[in-house]
Amino acid sequence: MKKSIFEKKWVSVLFWIVLLIIAWEIGAFIVAATKRTPANILPHLTNIIAAAFSTKQVAGKLTASEVVFTSAGATLFRALVGFVLGAVVGYVLALLMKLSGIVEKLIFPYLMLIQLIPVIGLAPIILSITGDINISRVIISAILSFFPVATNVLEGMKAVPKDNYDLMYTYAAPKWMIFSKVLIPSSKPYLFTGLKTGAPMAITASILVDTLQGDGGLGCMLSQSLKHAMNIYVFWLIVFFCAIIGILSTYVIGWIELAVTPSLRVERRTSRPGRPKKNKKALIEKNGGMNNDSSQIQKV
Amino acid sequence: MTAVRSRKSKSAKNAANAALTIILPVALGVLIVALWQGGVLQKLFGTDDYVLPEPTRIFSIFQDNSSAVWANIKITTSVAMLGLLFGSLLGYAAAVLGALKPGIGAGALAVVGAFASVPLVALAPVMNNLTRDVSRVAETRSFVAKILVVMLIAAADMGLNAYRGLTELPPYAVDLMKTYAASSKTVFLKLRLPNSVPYIFTALKVSVPASIMTAIVSEYFAEFNGGVGRQIRENILLAQYSTAWVYIMAACGIGVGTYVILMIVRSIIARKFHM
Amino acid sequence: MADTEAKREVEIEIKDLGVSFTDNAGNPVQALTGVNLDIYKGEFIALLGPSGCGKTTLLRSVADLQQPTEGKISIEGNTPRQTRLARKFGFVFQQPVLFDWRTVRKNVELPLEVMSESKEERAKRAEEMLEMVGLSNFADSYPKQLSGGMQQRVNIARAFSLKPDILLMDEPFSALDEFTKEKLHMDLLRLWKATNKTILFVTHNIEEAVFLSTRVCVFTPHPGRLANVVDITLPQPRELNMKNTMEFTNLVAQVRGSFEGGSL
Repeated sequence: MKKSIFEKKWVSVLFWIVLLIIAWEIGAFIVAATKRTPANILPHLTNIIAAAFSTKQVAGKLTASEVVFTSAGATLFRALVGFVLGAVVGYVLALLMKLSGIVEKLIFPYLMLIQLIPVIGLAPIILSITGDINISRVIISAILSFFPVATNVLEGMKAVPKDNYDLMYTYAAPKWMIFSKVLIPSSKPYLFTGLKTGAPMAITASILVDTLQGDGGLGCMLSQSLKHAMNIYVFWLIVFFCAIIGILSTYVIGWIELAVTPSLRVERRTSRPGRPKKNKKALIEKNGGMNNDSSQIQKV
Repeated sequence: MTAVRSRKSKSAKNAANAALTIILPVALGVLIVALWQGGVLQKLFGTDDYVLPEPTRIFSIFQDNSSAVWANIKITTSVAMLGLLFGSLLGYAAAVLGALKPGIGAGALAVVGAFASVPLVALAPVMNNLTRDVSRVAETRSFVAKILVVMLIAAADMGLNAYRGLTELPPYAVDLMKTYAASSKTVFLKLRLPNSVPYIFTALKVSVPASIMTAIVSEYFAEFNGGVGRQIRENILLAQYSTAWVYIMAACGIGVGTYVILMIVRSIIARKFHM
Repeated sequence: MADTEAKREVEIEIKDLGVSFTDNAGNPVQALTGVNLDIYKGEFIALLGPSGCGKTTLLRSVADLQQPTEGKISIEGNTPRQTRLARKFGFVFQQPVLFDWRTVRKNVELPLEVMSESKEERAKRAEEMLEMVGLSNFADSYPKQLSGGMQQRVNIARAFSLKPDILLMDEPFSALDEFTKEKLHMDLLRLWKATNKTILFVTHNIEEAVFLSTRVCVFTPHPGRLANVVDITLPQPRELNMKNTMEFTNLVAQVRGSFEGGSL
């Protein structure tokens, strides 16, 4: 039963991916027939894949894929450092705000305000202030991943029901135990939500900082290849590479969450729609299938 | 008697608390501006008042160039808002389709969700290339390209949230409608559509600031030299830091301003429909 | 009645208790006024009344979860706060209040962790308590995998695990179906007999109050006050078929009568 449902979703996802690929290819054929430089606008996917595996040297002694991977190292490593740094600072700040009303009052309005500000606009200024591209990558990535973590964790801690505090109160539990046994574990799903939002932003930030200066990194290669200083397929490879890394980053965080949350694993295993497939299908046909989620909501 | 007194002191405490909520952040803001103006902030960041000019200087530069600044604000804001509008409509339409055909819809949402984590920097240049033949004027081309990027981001936010609003209904609501022998169309108009309204605002709360950020990032890559984001970058390349700061402040202003407008609209609609 | 009570030790002494607070609109609300009640060791007291009668307020005041504005509560000569800090209360909430991220066993061990009991002692006691409520086979399950009735049993096992002197129960079975409820009634009575705790049990169900308790305290609202105390003379241990006896019916009628005579 479980398998068939998994397959169903899987099939549906595949359906859309295939549809996108077909649309892309149709577009590529049209572009190829009408434009002078189709590779700049919309090349065939096969050409992009071929470029990935080609042994032709495009820059110095490096093939296109080697260019992508070597420059990805610098960019992604800084993004990761910034991401971890931002997440830690965001988490600590959320804890402090929960711990002290004064800290919360002092900082919370700014936390909300800075979320509305396009921080990425600050990237060039931070590069000018620090004068170092690596430090700038780390700082911008950290700032961008800091906010989703801080706000989500704080929200998670505020969402703890009063009952839970009452329970700990009847045990005369000290304050640190309320943190370690109630607040920290119950805000864990919110932490991961924040991390999932923050990771692609950290990567975006790091790549963006690359474009500001000419010494290496994915963003730098991206601009160079756009300006035809390098094979245009390097550009397409980087675009796909970024997309895959961005998507992968949220999946990896999801896997980590699953690995450190046994209750979530059990929940996934047992409460995945145990409804017979036939029944579900009948429901779909009768009323657009939109109510088969309602029973689950009720349970929660 | 004691009860009355404790009540009184409690309300006094509440009032003091409310006052602190305003006084503390305002005091922090004033302190930061004072340190900035006094040059302490610059020392703290290890820089000088050339890279980080004091607020009064930024303001006077703004006054000197106000017409150019406003023109760029207009470009960025219109890109962000048009992209947001089209993207939200597209996202909502996709959510409706997804809700009507749940089998295929679930997959579409998974794909859209994945797109949401594609870094912007990968999207912006692709859109520039795709729109190369839209117009012979670079300004128009870039305008369309930027709107397309913002559209994709806004559509992902709206699609995911609206789908939840259209499908996560109160328990038994569909059953109730069924007892009235309501058609799918009636269920949609009387139940799903109103149920999705708060979710629309949840999406907008995220996508309004995100649209502005997206507009600014795509300006970095755009062909045409316009918009607040591009001005920040160009002015820094020219080492005109004070002007760059004017545009940074403008970007902040757009972010906060649009959010405030969103909140006002939300409260009006909430009052009208008892949301 | 006075005879038997005189021999027994008073555990909780409630004197002229009144609780008032301001509601969200800023209006003063008198939740409870002029409550006088002595509770003896090992008693099973039912606090019965409609919503808004202050029965839960009384329970929370005893547990130090709420501060009385008038009068006082003394528990073996101590204040509720001292008693709470000595960890002598087991509180069973209306909702199970289980932590989703902990297994059933770990949920039962929670109060023991707070009390810094050793690992072996925690495991031993959790095992014992789960056996007592018949959930040994579910020790490693997570709360979301259990039915409502089973969750409530974990809640009770957790309250017993810290070996409290006094068990405070706030409408623990009100969300359960009748069959599950009857089963849990028998479980609770068995545990009560086996451990000899003093139990304060809040409910709005007359039959439940009569069947479980040794005394029913009837509360009436506006303002909340203790209107009547009815001794439940049904023999111990209680059996389900006692509900069919004339005596049970009469007691239920008597309790119901004290509402009709009141300000309802």
